[in-house]
Amino acid sequence: MAVYRRGYQRYQGAYTSHFTRLLAFPRFSWRRLMSQRLVDIVIIVSLFWPVACMLFVYLCHHTELWQGLGGGLTRILSVNGQFFHVFMTVQSVFAVLLAALAGPGLIAPDLANNALPLYFSRPISRLDYVLARILVLVGMISFVTWIPGLFVFGMQAGMAGWGWLVSNWRLGAAVFAGFAVWSLLLSLVALASSAYVRWRIIAGAVVLGFFFVLAGAAQMIKQVMGADWALALNPGEAMSRIWKVMLGVELDAGPGPWACALALSVTALILCWILERKLRAVEVVS
Amino acid sequence: MSPVIELDNLSVRLGRREVLQGISCRLGVSGTGRAIGLLGPNGAGKSTLIRTLLGFHRPSKGSARILGYDCHHCPLDAKTRIGYMPENEAIIANLTAVAFLRLMGEISGLPAEVALEKAHEVLYHVGLGEARYRTLGTYSLGMRQMAKFAQAIVHGPEILILDEPTNGLDPIARRRMLELIREMKEAHGMSVLLCSHLLKDVEEVCEEAVILHEGRLVHHSDLEEERRSNRRFVELEVTGDDTNLDAALRAHGADGVTEGCGRWRIVLPPGVEFGELWALLAQYNLGVHKLTHRRDTLEEIFLKAVGHIRQTPGDEARSEEVSTHGRL
Repeated sequence: MAVYRRGYQRYQGAYTSHFTRLLAFPRFSWRRLMSQRLVDIVIIVSLFWPVACMLFVYLCHHTELWQGLGGGLTRILSVNGQFFHVFMTVQSVFAVLLAALAGPGLIAPDLANNALPLYFSRPISRLDYVLARILVLVGMISFVTWIPGLFVFGMQAGMAGWGWLVSNWRLGAAVFAGFAVWSLLLSLVALASSAYVRWRIIAGAVVLGFFFVLAGAAQMIKQVMGADWALALNPGEAMSRIWKVMLGVELDAGPGPWACALALSVTALILCWILERKLRAVEVVS
Repeated sequence: MSPVIELDNLSVRLGRREVLQGISCRLGVSGTGRAIGLLGPNGAGKSTLIRTLLGFHRPSKGSARILGYDCHHCPLDAKTRIGYMPENEAIIANLTAVAFLRLMGEISGLPAEVALEKAHEVLYHVGLGEARYRTLGTYSLGMRQMAKFAQAIVHGPEILILDEPTNGLDPIARRRMLELIREMKEAHGMSVLLCSHLLKDVEEVCEEAVILHEGRLVHHSDLEEERRSNRRFVELEVTGDDTNLDAALRAHGADGVTEGCGRWRIVLPPGVEFGELWALLAQYNLGVHKLTHRRDTLEEIFLKAVGHIRQTPGDEARSEEVSTHGRL
């Protein structure tokens, strides 16, 4: 019978699992985000670099194509930790752009429209809500970070052979884990700014500002006080130094990986605290 | 029979202020489709009570249970069974009504395809069928109220918590909203907790009423019972010789007191209706100026409960009569 004829019938069937309910948020958000032209453009442009890297890997294994260019080039072209570090650094910038574009639209409209009481009056906790929103961003950022990264790694492994894979498996693990941590941090930054600033455009600017301002502040402290540890205050630099260690690339002077990990952990905790304060069904003024 | 809502010495503190103070009561009967009216002046704690039931506030003392589930310790179990319509504007403006209801259905636990079907079904049912593909931001206030109501019932909850559902509605839309609420309880067996400033709405829809005042429960009554007992009290004004009326009333099992000048207050026994009283008055050849049920309206109950009036107007004269005649 047509829907408009049969009237309201109360649902009597079984309810879906908790995890299925959480996945409803990402499905709705991804559909909406993918319909935004700017987001599509950033995703497409961000895939140029992985394609270039794949081409590089291909050329590294087909030396006959550029033998006429001189033997010195053979020594430069090698796929190692340094190569993947450059790859990750470039892609991390696109990830920041994507977070700045997609993140603010996730929480700010819910706060502006007072939709949180509707969500939290359902079998969804605040933690569930944040996890679902993080899933939206992590899923989207994955398209430009670890997924193309593993493609590049897989291509190299396929062309270099089993021996290379056995001796360099940690490069693949580092690409995945390093990008996972970066995606998580970006998601927290984007969600916290979205929760703190209810105006979407401003919230996007805050995400970009977060990285630029902290980078500037870290450099300033380093120059004025001569303290190398200040570099750990720059989330991008801290992440980069951790990636270097994970990829087996030599670290230059500055804070070690543990100091950087501690700085990032403290940043993440502060962002979680902001989310905890801001994401409430009702605000209580004491 | 298990209650729908069970409050046991419930206290809620917000900041330094104790907004709810030791409320204990059992409201509604599970599965019977009764509506409970939640009343109280501004600042009485109605919204805080609703939010505590929804798990938004943590009780500082005591407990609140919905359908047997503790709202603080098992919030997800309780919320699975709740449909909530908030008082404030609470929609996602850039979603179409169908997408909005579908999302709400899915996060309430409906499978995706069922949620889509229910979204269409409910929107047609509340009268938004033709506007279901419009974004909610373009809706008028009345349409938004209906959309909020629709999202509350899309997953077929066992209990509906409605906070000022008729706010901003014109008389026709208000009537439609009240009809829908009545339908949800009578045809679909949902229990309803209706919070409203409009006593008439509560009177029309609810079987029970709870009145809060300054964070305390000051009145809990069964409106059905009140209505039944009100029907037994009659106010009568007659012309003619009514000296024998007292005895005649007694003969019929009724009890009456005269206030003089032909004015009477009568308590009818169960089973005796107006028709018999008319016949009696005709038998004694008395002219009737006025014959009405004494109505202790919800407004009077409310005003008494919150201390704005000491008793129902007219009760004073009656109590004096009682002390004089020792009856009624």
